[in-house]
Amino acid sequence: MSEVDPTLEQRLDRLDEIVHALEREDLELEQAMKLFEEGIGHLRHAQELLNNAELRIERLLDQTRA
Amino acid sequence: MSQDAAARPITVSRLNAVIKGTLEQRLPAAWVIGEISQWKPWSNGNIYFNLKDKRASIRCVMWGRDAQRLPAHPTEGMQVRVFGHVTMFEQRGDLQFQAHTLEAEAAGGLWKIRFEKVRAKLEADGLLAPERKRPLPRFPSAVGVVTSAEGAAVHDIINVVKKRAPWVKLVLSSARVQGEGAAIDIANAIRRLERSHVDVVIVGRGGGSSEDLWAFNEEIVARAIAASPVPVVSAVGHETDTTIADMIADLRAPTPSAAAERVVPDREMMLREFSVVRQRMANASHRRIVQLRTAGENAMRDMLRNVRMLTRDRQQRLRASAGKLEALSPLAALERGYSVALAQDGKVLKRVAEFAPGSAFALRVSDGTVDCTVS
Repeated sequence: MSEVDPTLEQRLDRLDEIVHALEREDLELEQAMKLFEEGIGHLRHAQELLNNAELRIERLLDQTRA
Repeated sequence: MSQDAAARPITVSRLNAVIKGTLEQRLPAAWVIGEISQWKPWSNGNIYFNLKDKRASIRCVMWGRDAQRLPAHPTEGMQVRVFGHVTMFEQRGDLQFQAHTLEAEAAGGLWKIRFEKVRAKLEADGLLAPERKRPLPRFPSAVGVVTSAEGAAVHDIINVVKKRAPWVKLVLSSARVQGEGAAIDIANAIRRLERSHVDVVIVGRGGGSSEDLWAFNEEIVARAIAASPVPVVSAVGHETDTTIADMIADLRAPTPSAAAERVVPDREMMLREFSVVRQRMANASHRRIVQLRTAGENAMRDMLRNVRMLTRDRQQRLRASAGKLEALSPLAALERGYSVALAQDGKVLKRVAEFAPGSAFALRVSDGTVDCTVS
C-alpha cells in the first residue's frame, strides 16, 4: 500500500483472500492477527470511499469533428 | 407544341425535350407499386430496373446518390413501392420512371435484408460466438458511455451511477445516435474510449423507432464493439427488436438505466456486505484463537501424561531390580538361620584350621553379631 493506493476492486479481492485464509487455513496466531488487521484496514478504506465519493464526469472531445 | 401545320419543323432533340418537359410538368411525383425485375446496378452507381405488374411494365432508373441510401438491394420479383416521377431519356426517346426512394412492401423490407447480411458477415467472422462474451468487472473504477450528449440516456446513466456508485468515474464519449453518419460517429466514440482506461463501456440510446435505432445495426458499430479492449454493454432502448449491437455486445441491457445498474455495484448493498465480511473475519479469528489455545492445552496434557508414564515405568523397573538384588543378598541366608563367622579383621572364617584355640571371633547372625571365643 506504499506506492499506489489499491483500487476498490483490488481491496475487495484481497478481502476475499483474507476471509478465505482466516476461515480455511491453519494459520499461526500472529499471522491470523496480522491478516485480520489488514482486512479491517481494507474495509475501512473501502467504506470511506463509498461514503465520501462524489461522482466525477469526464467528457471526451471529439477530435475528428473539431 | 403548336398544332399549326405551317409551323417550322423541329429537331428530334427539340421534340424529346418538349416531351420530357411536358411529362415532368404534367405528371406529379407519385408512389408506384410493382414487382422488381432485371435489377442492374451499374459501376457508376446508377441502377436500372423494370417495375411491373401482371399487365404492364415500365423502365426505371435510380441515380447513384439515391441508390446510396438503399439499405440493401431488392431481390428479383420482390414487391416494392417506389417514389419518383416519369421522365424521358432523350438520347433514345425512351420513357422511364426515375425512382428516388424504393421500399420493400414486406415488413422490415430491405432493412431486414441488410440486417441479415451484417449478421451473417459477423457470424462468419466468429464475432457472434457466445464464448467471445466477456464477464463484466465486479467493481469498475471508470465507466465509458457512448451515446448522444443531448439525449435522455446520458442523464439516466449519470443518475443511476451517482446514486449507486458515486466513486466510479464516468467518461462520456458522445456521438450522434441517429441520422446520416451516426454509425461512424458511434464507432469513433467507442474507439476514443480506448485511451481513457475505462473498465467497461455502455453503448446505447433511449427508445425510438426501428429507423431511429438503425445505426446500432451497422457493421461498423458492431466491429468497433468487438474490437473494444474492455467489455461492452449495449443499451438500445427497444425491447422488441434485437439490434446487431445487442448481439455482439458482451451484455445486452434493455435500457441505458438498466445498463448502468448492471455495470456498477450498489453502495447500500456493498456496505451491508462489508459488515458481513467484518463479522466473518472476526469470527474466523476468534475461532482460530480458541483452536490454538485448545491445541496448546492438549499438547500440555499429552506431555504431562508422557512424563507420568515414564516415571511409572522407572518405578516398576526399580522394584524388580530390588527383588532380584535381595535374593542374592547374604542377609537373606542369615534370615533362614545360617550364620557367618568373621575374624577380627572381618575375614570370613571358613575352615576349622582358621579357628586357633582361645582366639576371638564374631558370629554374624540375622539381627546382629555375637562375640565368641574358640574353646
